[in-house]
Amino acid sequence: MVKSFSLALAVLVAGFSGAGYAQDKPTLTAYTYDGFAAEWGPGPLLKAGFEATCNCTLNWVAADSSIGTLRRVQLEGATTEADVLVGLDTAIAGEARATGLFADHGLTLTGLDLPEDWSDSQFVPFDYSHFAFMHDTDTMPVPPKNFEELISLPEDVKIVIQDPRSATPGLGLLLWVKAAYGDRAPEIWAGLKPHILTITREWSESYSLFLEGEADMVLSYTTSPAYHIFDEDDHTIKAALFNEGHFPQIEVAGILKSSDQPELAAQFLAYLASPEGQKAIPTTNWMFPVVDLGADLDPSFADLPQPTKTLTLSEEDIIANSGAWIDEMLAAVQ
Amino acid sequence: MILPHRPLRIATAAILSLAIAALIASVLWAIFAAATSAVAPSRIDIPHLLRMTTLQAGLTTGLSLIVGIALAWSLNRLRFPGRDLVVGLFAAAIVTPGMVVAFGLLSIWGRNGWINQALNAVFGVTVESPAYGLGGILLAHVILDGAFAARILLARLDAIPANRLKVGQSLALSAGQRFRLIDWPALRGSLPGLGAIIFLLAFTSFPIVLLLGGGPANQTLEVAIYSAVRLDFDLIGAVRLALTQMAVCAAVIVLASAFTAVPTALGRSAQPTWSDSRFARALQGLVLALSVLGFALPLIWVLVDGVVGGFGRVVAQPSFWQATATSIGIGAASAVLTLLLALVLALGRAAAANSVARTLLGVPAYAYLAVPAVVLSLGFFLLVRNVGLPLGAVSPIVVICANSLLALPFAMATLAPPLDAIVRTKGKLLRSLNMSGWAQFARIEYPLLGRDIGLMLALSFCFSLGDLGVIALFGTQDFQTLPLLMYRALGSYRNNDAAAIAAILLIGTIVAFVGLPRLIERLAHAPRQ
Repeated sequence: MVKSFSLALAVLVAGFSGAGYAQDKPTLTAYTYDGFAAEWGPGPLLKAGFEATCNCTLNWVAADSSIGTLRRVQLEGATTEADVLVGLDTAIAGEARATGLFADHGLTLTGLDLPEDWSDSQFVPFDYSHFAFMHDTDTMPVPPKNFEELISLPEDVKIVIQDPRSATPGLGLLLWVKAAYGDRAPEIWAGLKPHILTITREWSESYSLFLEGEADMVLSYTTSPAYHIFDEDDHTIKAALFNEGHFPQIEVAGILKSSDQPELAAQFLAYLASPEGQKAIPTTNWMFPVVDLGADLDPSFADLPQPTKTLTLSEEDIIANSGAWIDEMLAAVQ
Repeated sequence: MILPHRPLRIATAAILSLAIAALIASVLWAIFAAATSAVAPSRIDIPHLLRMTTLQAGLTTGLSLIVGIALAWSLNRLRFPGRDLVVGLFAAAIVTPGMVVAFGLLSIWGRNGWINQALNAVFGVTVESPAYGLGGILLAHVILDGAFAARILLARLDAIPANRLKVGQSLALSAGQRFRLIDWPALRGSLPGLGAIIFLLAFTSFPIVLLLGGGPANQTLEVAIYSAVRLDFDLIGAVRLALTQMAVCAAVIVLASAFTAVPTALGRSAQPTWSDSRFARALQGLVLALSVLGFALPLIWVLVDGVVGGFGRVVAQPSFWQATATSIGIGAASAVLTLLLALVLALGRAAAANSVARTLLGVPAYAYLAVPAVVLSLGFFLLVRNVGLPLGAVSPIVVICANSLLALPFAMATLAPPLDAIVRTKGKLLRSLNMSGWAQFARIEYPLLGRDIGLMLALSFCFSLGDLGVIALFGTQDFQTLPLLMYRALGSYRNNDAAAIAAILLIGTIVAFVGLPRLIERLAHAPRQ
């Protein structure tokens, strides 16, 4: 009687403790933004590829945005289930670093092919692109060649941009103008104001406005045309190259200090930045890989015009001033 | 005024009201407690935002009510093929994700919309689009809220008893006299509640304001709260802003509750034998035609665009069917829960004679609408964590509860006026029959409310179907609804897929609005054994 009772109890306890303990495979939990984990995103491909080699289970947990993943681990603190965070970018990497939640990855990354040298001990890059304004060659055959030319266009030429407080490209444009013009940034913003049709919360809303023909240009990425070439065989959407140079977005991944699987997490980041893992990125996330894939890079990316000059700002500068720069920009376009 | 004595109804409603208030308080407290370090003070001009938001919401409310009354008046008088479909379409606007409506609007009124394309083709000119800036926000809000108001008010006009119309007809009332003597008393009980809802919706409106606002000059407090949470991670500032927003909204709700008059009309509508003068009929036709142009065209465009777009690709995705099942399940569960909550509150309110008690029973139901979505989902997230429940397992429950509470004000606006009217017009009869509370509900209230309950179920089902606010923080790969799938498609360049999902959402919404009220009415009047 006692025996059967304790057996029943054991079964119950086993049932409650979840299936996680029943497996001998370790589990790696990665927080990311939802586009990355979506069915058509890189998430499923990376999961299949990594699980084939690691004898583990990789779980994607999707938040609504990359900043959302960071806020979530900040709220969860040391109790977070996340082992790695995938999808922060260099504009918020400084803030992420300052939380003290991230551990050194300890990897020696070789063969990186990025617009700038990479020497970050905590974050591993996994894709990049430059911010740029898109135009449709049917309606705007000759795009402006820099910000000042854009400003001097007739007022009925409209652009859509994103709010720097809620969208990474919005913040990217802000940093781009700052890196290119420094103290003259407010002047540039004031000049752009009549051309701004609206400032949206997310990138997707602004891009839809552009595709609907509501605006002549939209702030997006130099790699955006690849999607239209690859998926729709549409060659009319192009990125306008500006001669001031362009500001890059480099997306990164990091390991959390609280992870109980630090080796596995490092192994995953190494896979993510390896040619094998990188193959999954371009035609799912529509960004450039961080290694030279040679013939494995889809031809839709091959002929995309690339900026010759990459602008940068130091992480310290961004952390110290981004709030003031946002206020400056909002005041100028108010 | 002597009401039937129903202490149990009042007590239950009071407990529920307190529970909702406690939930809101604990959500805010959870955030407040999680805010560890003080950060730089928010750089937000609160007075300016409050002024802008109040102006915008006030204008929206006034315009929407005027449009709603005109449209309900026209629809009540006119009979034409496809009328039910038009009515369903109007109701669909409010529960469709705001982004979808906004893009539908732009397809007609935008810089590259039909109107400009037509002008360009015929006259070779284009006009400045009215769809951006404050005008654009008002246009979009009036399309959403005016159509919704029309749907709710139409239900009140349709409930005017036939014998009252017979008397009016025999007195040869003109259209104006009929409106003053018969229609207005039936409508006025719903106006304060409706006005409060529309004000709250406009005050907290987020995606539309940002999409069409043209920039930071036309922003709402909700945007500032979002930015405090997301960008600055200033949780204390976010709570403070949320409290400011809730205080303004609570003042509006209390004001609305204080003005609530009781409608007098109640019954089942027969086919109207009313004939207005030729001039009035022409006016009704004009109002209807303009409304169809303004309200229905954007939505029809959404349907057309979706079917032409990525329909085939979407229905071939397993995740689409999974999301559809999830959406329907959550919508159905939310609708039933909303019905329970709304009945408890509305029955309790109707039984209370004292106006202070009535206000206290009504406010929490509305107050929930004033809590910013970002604060709500963050607070829920923290609550779930603090209790130590696994997030994945409770996500559906949180989403169902949150959606029910969000739909509750709409449900109250639908059910409270007729329930008030029943106890006030039939109170004497009920007392003389010495009926029990249950018998009163089963034999009188439920049969008379069939159509309203159906409308309410449709409203909350679709509200949940189209929700993007709460699911955004609780959705995962395995737990996603159709709007979330749509949003994710938009975020990955897949606009055709998103258009198809938007069209499917809209079809589901219209089906629910046309079908549910009829179904429940039939059930309510089924012969009893």
